[in-house]
This record gives sequence, C-alpha cells and structure tokens, in this order.
Amino acid sequence: MEGRPREERALVLAAQGGDTRAYEALVRAHQEIAFRVAYVITRNAADAEDAAQEGFFKAWRALGRFRPDEPLRPWLLRIVANEARNRRRSAGRREHLAVRAAASPGEAAPSPEEATVGADERRRLLDELERLPEQARLVLACRYLLELSEEETAAALGVRRGTVKSRSARGLARLREAHESRA
Amino acid sequence: MNLERELQLLAAEIAWPPTPELASRVASVLASQRGVASPRGIAWRRHVALRHAPGRRPLVLAVALLLVALGAAFAVPESRGAILRFLHLGGVTIERVDQLPPAQERPLGADIGRIVSRRVAQQALGQPPLLPPLDPLPPLHLEGEDFVSLVFLDHGEPVQLSELGHTDEGIFKKLVVGATSTRFVDVDGAQGIWLTGARHVFAFPHVPPRLAGNVLIWQRGRLTLRLEGRRLTLDHALGVAHSLRRAKM
Repeated sequence: MEGRPREERALVLAAQGGDTRAYEALVRAHQEIAFRVAYVITRNAADAEDAAQEGFFKAWRALGRFRPDEPLRPWLLRIVANEARNRRRSAGRREHLAVRAAASPGEAAPSPEEATVGADERRRLLDELERLPEQARLVLACRYLLELSEEETAAALGVRRGTVKSRSARGLARLREAHESRA
Repeated sequence: MNLERELQLLAAEIAWPPTPELASRVASVLASQRGVASPRGIAWRRHVALRHAPGRRPLVLAVALLLVALGAAFAVPESRGAILRFLHLGGVTIERVDQLPPAQERPLGADIGRIVSRRVAQQALGQPPLLPPLDPLPPLHLEGEDFVSLVFLDHGEPVQLSELGHTDEGIFKKLVVGATSTRFVDVDGAQGIWLTGARHVFAFPHVPPRLAGNVLIWQRGRLTLRLEGRRLTLDHALGVAHSLRRAKM
C-alpha cells in the first residue's frame, strides 16, 4: 500500500461502523483525484461533480463489503468512474483540458528541462492528446496527467492491468506519430 | 523526444476545474439519515435478504417515483453546494435534469393506488403508518409494494402525505430542473428537504405524470415521508410533520 496514510485503515474501519466524520475525512482525502478522473471521462465539470458525489454516496453504501486491508483509492475510483461513464453525454457540452496561464512572477522559474517545452508546445501536445481515440486518450490521461498507477488506471477504466499496458503503449505510439508529424 | 517525460511535465501545467467540496456535502447528507444502518449493517441486511428472500425483486426496481419541477423565473442559488445535482435522503434520490417530461394537471389523489386497511398499510411499510390527527381519517392508498399515501385538507388546501418504509436504498427518484429551490430544513430535529418555487411533475411508472406543488421530504425512523401541496407553505408542512402519530392498530 504505497503512499497510503497509516490512519486510512482506521478511518475505513470507523466509517464501516457508521462514523460519518471518518467517511468525510476519507472523501476529503480522495475528492480531488475522484473529481478529476470523472472530469477526464465526462469532459464536463458539472457531470464530473455529480458523478463524484454520487460515487461517494454509493461507496458509503458499499463500504461494508470493502476489505480494510486493501487500498481504498482504486476501489473509490472504480465506483466514481462507473458513475462518470453513466453520465457521459452523447453530444455537446464537452469541455477540453487546457494548460494553465504562464507562471506568475512570484512562482519558481521553470527548470532548464521544463523550459525546453514551452507553453505553446505543451498546448500542442495537450491538443494532440485530446484528439486521440477515446481509449488512448483516457489511458494516457489517467497514467500521465492524473499520475494514476497501473492498478488505479485499470480500476478507473474497468479493464485489466495488461490492457492498461497495451493501451498505453499504443496510445503513446499514436501520440508520438501525431506529434512528430506536426513538428 | 522523450514523450513520457513531456507528458509528465504537462501534468503539472493542466488547468483543472476547481475541485468541489464534496466531503462536507456527503457527510451532511449522511448525518441527516438518522436511523439508517451503518455500511456494515447495510451489507449484512442485503446478505440476509438475498439468502432468505430469493426471487423477490429488488424494491428499488419496484417503485420509481419521479418528481420534476418546472419554472423559468426562479432564483437559483449561485453555489452548487446549496443545490446539489444529487441529493439523498432516506429512500429518496433527487436528481436535477435538463429536460422535463410532459405532464398533465390532475388531482393529488390521482393514481395513488388502491384503498387499503391500516393493517395492509402496516404490512407494506413494515411498521404502523404515521397519520395526521384527523377524525374521520381519509382512506389509505397503496401503490406498488410499499408506497402508502393519503390525501387530506390542511388549512383548507388539499395535501398528499406519502410514506415509504425503506430508507437505505434509492426507492424514489425525483427529477428536478435547475429552476427549483432545494434546501435543507429541520423537521423535528431531523434533516429534511424542501422543494419549492416551481411547478412539479409527479409520476409513477406506467402512470401519466401530473403537475404538482411544493414538497417536503424527511425521515422518521425507518420511514421516508413526503408531503405535497400546491399551495403548501413550509410552516404548514412542518406543522403537519410535527402532528403525525403512529396509527393505532
């Protein structure tokens, strides 16, 4: 359970006993990543918010069946991502990821390595990622933009880890091809 | 070009939408569901139900109740925390939708099921129904397996009281549009939801939806209650809620 807070198991056990405060702490710890996973899937902030909220309610109702020794995050992400897929709109209201505005003067200067990829270049890379087929876009967004592990990506996308590996490799190849063809 | 490295650098530059504060919302709604078992209890009850009631269709599928709200000139609070897209209270799930089904103007007592005795109502709810102190008492109706209703006058206006005997599943589903005001209220120390400000559409499966009025939803023990009236005010609704007593069998 890499990176898992020690107290998470205790919070899970307390929540399983009906402690809503403990569950609130668990939701707070995971709400950002849950919302972003839902946003990547729905491409709509309102839908993502609904999906994450509903997912947390469903997770509460299912918490009695969760094994406290297992990592909670993949389990939560699986539930929220399922809700997000159910809410994905068939047409319209799709939003696109964007790159943040240039760093303000108070922020740390980019490293030389970061500086090699300028703001325009990053926007172009993100545009190319957004134009990939859905399966490739989702797996690369989960693995690289959300920095999910293979296990978490598999849970969020409802596929096996091997599928995550193969889709990642194919997605990277397509992205590289698109990137280099525009260079 | 190290594409993976560039993607990792890109991750730090993404302008994600602000993460909504879900934890306090979720906790607030869960804390309001007094009488609802802990997750462990829910899982245990489901296990028992599956073992001892094979073949019984899930109650969730038995009754679906839609409540939708109409109205354009209605103030919607700016905070999404004030109006949630999804709310849960007892057996009720309220979901905001973008489009509403067509509805007819029909009486409150239309399509609320067959008239039943108090004993049948008790069997359906799993406990005696909560009733207003009226003599004579209007007839009780049963729709589906466990949705008990009665219609009576409050302050000269017809209101419909409906009761559901299960609180831990989304038995009811209520759909509202953004034009509806949805707020939490205190109902005798328990949390309730007051839906008002726009015309509503109320429908059972296979029954034509009808326009309806203001609605108070709350819980008492394992009962989920719903009070509806076209000109119902919150004060009057809270008065009715406070007056309810267990039926004498």
